[in-house]
Amino acid sequence: MAATLCSKFLQRQGWLPLIQSVRHGSKAVTRHRKTFHILRAKLMAVTKYVPPERVIPPGAYPSTTKRIQEDSALTLLLKRDLKKVFQDCKMVAVVQNSASSAEDMMLLKNKLFKHGIIVKFFPNQVMRSFLMDTAHSNMAPLFIGPTVLFVSKEPKVKEMLKALRSSPQMTLLGACIDDTLLSVDGIVSYSKLPSVAVVQGQLVSGLTMLTSLTASLLQRHPAHLSALLQQHVRQQSPDSGAAEEEAAS
Amino acid sequence: MISFIKAAAGGLTGICRSSGHRQGPLYSHLKVLAAGLKTYDIPPDFSDVVLPEKPKLKFINKVPNLKKAKKEMKQLRDIQGPARAANTFTTGSYAIVALGGGYLHWGHIEMIRLTINRKMDSRTTFARWRVNAPYKPLTRKGLGQRMGGGKGAIDHYVTPVRYGRLIVEVGGKVELGEVQHILIEVAKKLPFPAKVMSRESLAELHQKQADMEENNQNPWTFKQIVQGNMLGIRKVLSPFDLHNHGRFTGKFHIPGRV
Repeated sequence: MAATLCSKFLQRQGWLPLIQSVRHGSKAVTRHRKTFHILRAKLMAVTKYVPPERVIPPGAYPSTTKRIQEDSALTLLLKRDLKKVFQDCKMVAVVQNSASSAEDMMLLKNKLFKHGIIVKFFPNQVMRSFLMDTAHSNMAPLFIGPTVLFVSKEPKVKEMLKALRSSPQMTLLGACIDDTLLSVDGIVSYSKLPSVAVVQGQLVSGLTMLTSLTASLLQRHPAHLSALLQQHVRQQSPDSGAAEEEAAS
Repeated sequence: MISFIKAAAGGLTGICRSSGHRQGPLYSHLKVLAAGLKTYDIPPDFSDVVLPEKPKLKFINKVPNLKKAKKEMKQLRDIQGPARAANTFTTGSYAIVALGGGYLHWGHIEMIRLTINRKMDSRTTFARWRVNAPYKPLTRKGLGQRMGGGKGAIDHYVTPVRYGRLIVEVGGKVELGEVQHILIEVAKKLPFPAKVMSRESLAELHQKQADMEENNQNPWTFKQIVQGNMLGIRKVLSPFDLHNHGRFTGKFHIPGRV
């Protein structure tokens, strides 16, 4: 059987094998790199050299822990001055000084000094560090740029505003008057108020006027007084108003 | 003030004495002009260098003297991977170092010999071969010959060179700057990447490689993965990679790998 099959296959002429194996042996070409197998390429990518992180030289960056700076003697002195100012003075006004000349400043100082207002200069840093611990800490945002303090023992706001009107380089920012923080509008309205003595006098006069009126009424004739009282009672009772109107009509 | 000037003068006289100029009574009246003074580096000490009798490169035979020349197979292994011989300095201090594998023909060798022998100063410098004479036979078939009929006849001989091998060593009473241009000229013409190195720079290269291996921040190293045969990766790798840890592909060196 097998022999007959074999003979049949062999008899066929022009038969070619369906699959021809082509030899792809290892090439001996060394001119270029052999391409990597995909797995090997991945392996090479995964196992790349990763350098250690660069060591940052000491002092290249500021330290993360905040350094607490100790105050110098001058700062302490200034702070003591400031404390005194805030204790003694009823009016502490903050004014921005936008490049006013020395002459202007001198004139302004002179004008203010006539009313007992003193111009004081403090460094902003000292000011802010001083304000941080005190009750006036809300004033701290005012101290930006060149600022000047107007200080007086009595709250002489009107005079100060008058003096400031003549020097446009100085801008009023705010003030602390009688332990009250005031904005510019607040200061202007404060200046429009009459003085305390006047107000007190008005109050007293108002109070005394009532008593004097009562006294003068009591001194009149009793008939006049009774008539007045009757009219008052009539006005107080609810029906009376309507009855009066009918009577009038 | 006077003592200061004296001290300065003393310092200068000290320098003068070391250089061999003695001025006798003029010592104390020297003027020190600091702006004009220049400090030179101390020249290297070549007192212990001994020049050999024949400082020049020897002639190298084109064909080895064999009783019976035998054809060999390609044997690509002898240009693959790092050099296991002649990869450190012996007597010289500067060398041409191969940075890849390749074959040196007799022509290359002659070029090296002629260039170096012509340009170097043989009174102060010597040069030494660090490669052997061509010993590996390469065969060619004759021109116009039909294919078949067996392996061709031996055509010429070559010297296989691996990565890291020194080709020529130069030493003597010279600094690198004096011989560098000659060696660079030669190194450019070689059939593989080559570089001029001194003892220090070669040690530095080795040190750098060692440092890289030590400080590698990548937890996955080629060595570890391949030795552990992770995910069956050895299927696509050769034993060659097992030894060289992926730093070479064939005769080529891949720089910057651990």
